[in-house]
Amino acid sequence: MKKLIFIVFIGTFSFLTLSSKETTAFESTYIPGDSGDILIQNARILTGTGNEILRGSILISSNKIKAIGETLDKPASTQIIDANGKWVTPGIIDIHSHMGVYPAPGLRSSSDGNESTSPVTAHVWAEHSVWTQDPQMPLALKGGITTFHVLPGSANLIGGRGVTLKNIWARTVQGMKFPGAPYTLKMACGENPKRVYGGRNSEPSTRMGNVAGYRKAWIRAQSYRNKLAEYESKSEEAKELEYAPTRDLELETLVGVLNGEILIQNHCYRGEEMAVMLDIAKEFNYKVTTFHHAIEAYKVADILAENGVCAAMWADWWGFKHEAFDMVWENAAIVDQANGGNGCAIIHSDSSVGIQRLNQEAAKAMAAGNRAGLDIPLSRAIQWITLNPAKALGIAGKVGSLEVGKMADVVIWDGNPFSVYTKTEKVFVDGVLLYDKDNPLTPKATDFELGIISSEGDRL
Amino acid sequence: MSLNKKVFIGLLSLLISSFSLSEELLLKNAKIHTATDRGTIDKADVLIRDGVIVRIGKNIVSSRAVVEDLSGKVISPGLIAPQTQLGIVEIELIPETRDDRSDIYSAGLSIDSAFNPSSTLIPYNLTGGVTLSLTSPSSSGLFSGLTSAFSLSGSLEASLIHSNIALSANISGGEDSMAAKIQLLADSLTLSSYFELNKCSEMYHNKSSLPQGVNYSCRDLFALKNVVDKKIPLVVRANRASAILTLIDFAKTNNINLIINGAEEGWRVSRQLAEAEIPVILQPIDNIPNSFNELGSRLDNAYLLHKSGVKILIGSHETHNAYLSRQGAGIAVSYGLPWKEALKGLTKNIAEVFKIDKRGSIQPGYIADIVVWTGDPLEVTSFVEQVYLSGESVSTKNRSMRLKERYISQ
Repeated sequence: MKKLIFIVFIGTFSFLTLSSKETTAFESTYIPGDSGDILIQNARILTGTGNEILRGSILISSNKIKAIGETLDKPASTQIIDANGKWVTPGIIDIHSHMGVYPAPGLRSSSDGNESTSPVTAHVWAEHSVWTQDPQMPLALKGGITTFHVLPGSANLIGGRGVTLKNIWARTVQGMKFPGAPYTLKMACGENPKRVYGGRNSEPSTRMGNVAGYRKAWIRAQSYRNKLAEYESKSEEAKELEYAPTRDLELETLVGVLNGEILIQNHCYRGEEMAVMLDIAKEFNYKVTTFHHAIEAYKVADILAENGVCAAMWADWWGFKHEAFDMVWENAAIVDQANGGNGCAIIHSDSSVGIQRLNQEAAKAMAAGNRAGLDIPLSRAIQWITLNPAKALGIAGKVGSLEVGKMADVVIWDGNPFSVYTKTEKVFVDGVLLYDKDNPLTPKATDFELGIISSEGDRL
Repeated sequence: MSLNKKVFIGLLSLLISSFSLSEELLLKNAKIHTATDRGTIDKADVLIRDGVIVRIGKNIVSSRAVVEDLSGKVISPGLIAPQTQLGIVEIELIPETRDDRSDIYSAGLSIDSAFNPSSTLIPYNLTGGVTLSLTSPSSSGLFSGLTSAFSLSGSLEASLIHSNIALSANISGGEDSMAAKIQLLADSLTLSSYFELNKCSEMYHNKSSLPQGVNYSCRDLFALKNVVDKKIPLVVRANRASAILTLIDFAKTNNINLIINGAEEGWRVSRQLAEAEIPVILQPIDNIPNSFNELGSRLDNAYLLHKSGVKILIGSHETHNAYLSRQGAGIAVSYGLPWKEALKGLTKNIAEVFKIDKRGSIQPGYIADIVVWTGDPLEVTSFVEQVYLSGESVSTKNRSMRLKERYISQ
């Protein structure tokens, strides 16, 4: 009897832990400041929905977009911003960043992006490495980045959970977390895992070793899911008589993918490997959301489009390794136009330099596509750095376009954003003006930057 | 054969040879960015004879020139990449495709014999607008080795333009104090100042003035001696303001020609750089405080340095995309650097500082390395349409384009 009570107690306790994990632990604590009411007028607007308004207005109210159109009435006590001659876009979203986990300065002591001690580390979460005072974040804000997705590195076959952050100054990572954004899982194809582990004379040392590694992990995940389901299917009385299955951090994450709650973000350069990864997804019945660094996406653009998979690409990086040798400037445009314009193209950075000007990277990729005869208007190309990454992160209902009810993540540019000479003038996150070129106190300096060069001043 | 016949044949062959010697090309109606003090000339012509620019102006007429109408097009001098591993690196992560490093030689490493004109990076960067590369080894010691200038013509016989024109050095990174590296730099130069080629082996065995473990071959000493004799400049990678000041002093004390590469905190010592007339090679796109030696990195560095009178050379960190120096230049312009100075930074200033004769600008007497653009060469949406190397139209195809053509129609 005593034993039974003990078991019941433990059972209840573990049930409580499970449920408390699901409701509160690691949840976003981000609450935006008061945006007030702001009317941006006379702007040329790329809405992110595929439309362009040559001269229009946006009304921001209570952190949300309240209205958008050619002419809007000015409600009382609204701050007016005349954006005559300026361009407005949704806040830019970088789906591939390591800010916070590979911060600047690049020191071993804060290089926390790769748990490269085992090829499958689905149990680690990038957010637990994030240094919120990374000075790269405000630089990205000046480049119009309002949301970024932080991934573990690519040393491992399965590298761990990624996290989507709002680009705001906060003391805690929970304070930056995008409210309600789904978790993601980083996977990596190709050279990196086989180099890291093959170099230690351990598995995987080949691409076939990589694939065996993924499949073995999913088999364990399936088995864990079955065990959980079996326990859950028992009657309450039966549950009281035995322990709930022990939590397994690694397999919980993998089961989250199998259940469609966690989105796969898969580093994968080669066309063949993308096709193989899609077959693994078929074998275990999960979905690949995005292939990242998809240098050869153009070779399999139709396959990606058929499977509803996005490709996140650079405009022109290449040659740093063998699997990055077949780059073409038209990659994004070809992906975009696959299957009658049903492809999902994303321009990403993976770089603290590139993240500051995803607009220029998109411009290069768009211009290359247009030169090759693919007809990509500005209103479409802007989606490569706004709505498409939002979709691939599962947050398109909240950001990625300038639509009524969405978060007021808005950028005002001093000209056409598809130009090397254009800079941001104002960047709003949830309607709060976090960068204003006329206010030298913005963006807010990180802790690191205070007194770092001269004790009286900030870094810049 | 009669004398008349001989004379006739002689005259004929003279005529033929003089005709083939003086080929003329006339580029008409282009917007010409000269990268000289003449600036930009709208709707003008360039006359090229035997690969050399002879005239620039409006309404040039030549009865025997091949004429190219470039209405609506923009031309500029070919870009010069000031600091790359073009021709000596194919794939960064594959050591067997790299010829840019040596543990055997230090200062004396000359990469000329390893340069591969058929590297895929060469037509690719030519297509990006680069016509000349200053290719340098990138060994990680104090000295990386010697820089040479190569044409991106792809020619197996004639790519090398100028051999061993600068010596590269690094004073940060690694375990040793920066102070130790400056001291070793000084000691190395001092030792080499006694260098005489015919007494080299003697010298080599008498290196007591150097710390233990430092070895120089005759080639290394010869390269250093050329710096001491001011025959070639020393290019030192340095970013921290205080390190730049140290180097300025060092150059003065040792009476050498110095070029600073990086100079991310150059804006903090721009007056001193200008006074010492020390040029800088910038990668203006990089404003990341990557280390404690570059905490002051910022996007208006190029502008602030130029304003103080420092000569700016603009490059890219990426050898594979060396041509993206033009995007960096565009960004520098958006942060205040005058446009014409940015173009000079990509062309003329590099040729001047590295003493590459008759290249880097469009002016009479200069070699016709000319790029035809669809628009503003600094704009990210502009493309190269045509490239002339010494007045010859060359292919602007590359491997990447072949791949695109294969897949775009599928």
